[in-house]
Amino acid sequence: MVAVISLLALLFLSNPSSPQPSFEQIAKQADAARVADRMEDAIELYSEGVGLRPSWSEGWWWLASLLYDQDRFSEAQPPLQRFIAIASKPAPAYAFLGLCEYETRDYEHALQHFQEWGRRGSPGTDELLDVAGFHWALLLTRRGQFVEALSMLAAKAQKRGDSPALTEAMGLASLRLRNLPEDYLPEKRESVWLAGKAAFYASVEDDLRADEYAAELLIHHGHEPNVHYFRGSLFSFQKDHDAAVKQYQQELQISPEHTAAMIELALFDVEDHRFTEGLALAQHAVTLDPRNARAHYVLGRGLLALGRAQESARQLEIARQLAPASAMIRFALARSYRTLGRSEDAARELAAFGSLKESASAPWERQKTTKQKQPGPSE
Amino acid sequence: MGAAENDEAEAAGTIGVMVPAVTLPFLLLLLGLSGAVLASQRAGPAAAKIPSTPGKAATFNQVSEAADRARTENRDDDAIRLYQQALHLRPAWKEGLWYLSTLLYEKERYPAARDLLRRFVSHEQGAGPAWAMLGLSEFQTREYTRSLDHLLRAMALGMDNRKDLAQSVFYFVAVLRTRFEQFDESMSLLMAMVKSGQPSDLLIEPIGLAALRRPLLPSEVPPNRRDMIHLAGQGALALEAQDREGADRLLSKMVAAYPDEPGVHFLYGAFLLDVRPTEGMAEMQREMEISPSSVPARLRLAEEYLKQSNLDQALPLADQALRLEPHRATAHMIMGEVLVAKDSLEGAIRELETAEQEAPQTVRIRWDLLRAYAAAGRSGDAQREKEEIAKLNRPAAER
Repeated sequence: MVAVISLLALLFLSNPSSPQPSFEQIAKQADAARVADRMEDAIELYSEGVGLRPSWSEGWWWLASLLYDQDRFSEAQPPLQRFIAIASKPAPAYAFLGLCEYETRDYEHALQHFQEWGRRGSPGTDELLDVAGFHWALLLTRRGQFVEALSMLAAKAQKRGDSPALTEAMGLASLRLRNLPEDYLPEKRESVWLAGKAAFYASVEDDLRADEYAAELLIHHGHEPNVHYFRGSLFSFQKDHDAAVKQYQQELQISPEHTAAMIELALFDVEDHRFTEGLALAQHAVTLDPRNARAHYVLGRGLLALGRAQESARQLEIARQLAPASAMIRFALARSYRTLGRSEDAARELAAFGSLKESASAPWERQKTTKQKQPGPSE
Repeated sequence: MGAAENDEAEAAGTIGVMVPAVTLPFLLLLLGLSGAVLASQRAGPAAAKIPSTPGKAATFNQVSEAADRARTENRDDDAIRLYQQALHLRPAWKEGLWYLSTLLYEKERYPAARDLLRRFVSHEQGAGPAWAMLGLSEFQTREYTRSLDHLLRAMALGMDNRKDLAQSVFYFVAVLRTRFEQFDESMSLLMAMVKSGQPSDLLIEPIGLAALRRPLLPSEVPPNRRDMIHLAGQGALALEAQDREGADRLLSKMVAAYPDEPGVHFLYGAFLLDVRPTEGMAEMQREMEISPSSVPARLRLAEEYLKQSNLDQALPLADQALRLEPHRATAHMIMGEVLVAKDSLEGAIRELETAEQEAPQTVRIRWDLLRAYAAAGRSGDAQREKEEIAKLNRPAAER
């Protein structure tokens, strides 16, 4: 009996006296659990590990990755933030944090973190580039930066080919809907799909199929805002300017204050030397949307063509302020300064133009630069 | 159709489920489901763990018991609050995660239900019904890609013989496959559901959408074309029921009412090719006028010309289809069949092997390859194909 009691006492006492596992042991166990696909164990062990040693950046990273892989986005955010705070090379984590914030509908922070990731050179695997770039584009659409969104998505289309998600994203941006795939009206689905298909095929230069889908879009949805504008953009892309002009005009009949259509018509007018009409339209667009860089740009170009270089420079300076990364605005401003005899300013703007052309690092930025109409020698 | 799709159709056909519970009260579904799933989980090791601090254990036990009581007494709001408290004390409590998520789903609080289900499945990776509920929640939050992935996972794992849940899952998989432009896979699943004896009224629109190759959910159909979708669905159902007269009447009515709509002439033409081939071919030509890049119309026409041994007409159509969709297995298959007919065995085998890579589960491609290998004197390869065909013809569970 005594022996039994002693044994029980020993067993009872053995727990409190058993040594706690060291950080090194926990870290090793966590890695082993992760490698063996025991994800819940791994999450628990990494949590324990970073609790014991908060400076363990690798632990924070794996903890965040495992939670992210299980779609547990709100739980993945704190470890990612911690990793960003302590890691020596945290750049890819900004993309993951942006993705988590997207999923938890914290869209403003998501966009900020994608931009931070972009500023740091958009490092990461091909898969991360794909997924993060795609969500970044969605958020640009939601914010109304449709051209930038489409540039990113078009690059993706050329690289990866068609997919239903890409089509939907391109459709939303093409129809200038400030929505995400999760939150637009179901009755818009068909037009978004048709516009997306047309945009996709246009981006891979398959005009036959782009036209086929665009034609169907016009038949069923030609009375809706932005549809003729989109068709006009496709015609512009295909260099069919007359057809584009007609579409932009039809858009203005449906949406009299459609500044984007106004601006494109104004640009055609300026390029065709119909300066009075072009200036009137551009001025109207500027009045309606004073923060639209392209409106100021077109107005500036028109004014320069009429010899009103001082006013032109003022408009182009506003455009530059609104869109400092636009190479074509810097080029036009250089020309205005040169006309005004401000050669140093002109040289500075030309240099900026050159560096903006070269500095784009992400694939979609490179694409945007090449797809943009470059200022020709006559400008 | 790939392996997964074959299996899906097979699963839908064998389960003998009733009409999908698209709008059926999920309340009933969930209440029934909860008990079944948890009966097995209560005995699980994780549920038996007690926290080492006595005071904390008492608190958790009290709260969790109160939560269960509130749930069984249908005091849902109290139950939700209490489950939340209990999960705060013990975040990995599986029963709590499950019951709270189902209560929230019932209350149409889908994002909250979804987040809890994600936690639940991270503990219970093999729980088919939980993946099903997660996929259904994600459908409601319009995360369609994830929803489809998780519903397919539920189908693969099985749903504990919950026919009501299974029928919902099959329905949502089918409509999502259509939205993701997987029309053939969707149609196979929908027809398997019909064959299993389900009343077809709820399936008419999904079938119509898949048949006309419109990537829309039923809720996204434009009102001015709902009738067209209905006619297509009814026509396809009549065809499935071997009611040729009915199919002809419905599909010709659709063509007359919507003569310029993409997909309409293809669908009617596909029917006519079996009964009045000349008219069917004319419908396919009309489809190509309306949809100049239609690959399905080209392939059906090429197939028909092949049947007539008119290889000079078949070849360019197959070639055009391949240019339009270089990764489409059926385009490579038809091209392979045309080349076999032209005795160009080397090219034919190349095309058929490509088709096989794209769609390894398609028996017709395997048969084509078997014949081509045999004709080329490659008896070993032919034998391998024969074995693969035998394997594919077995029920999925026996493969």
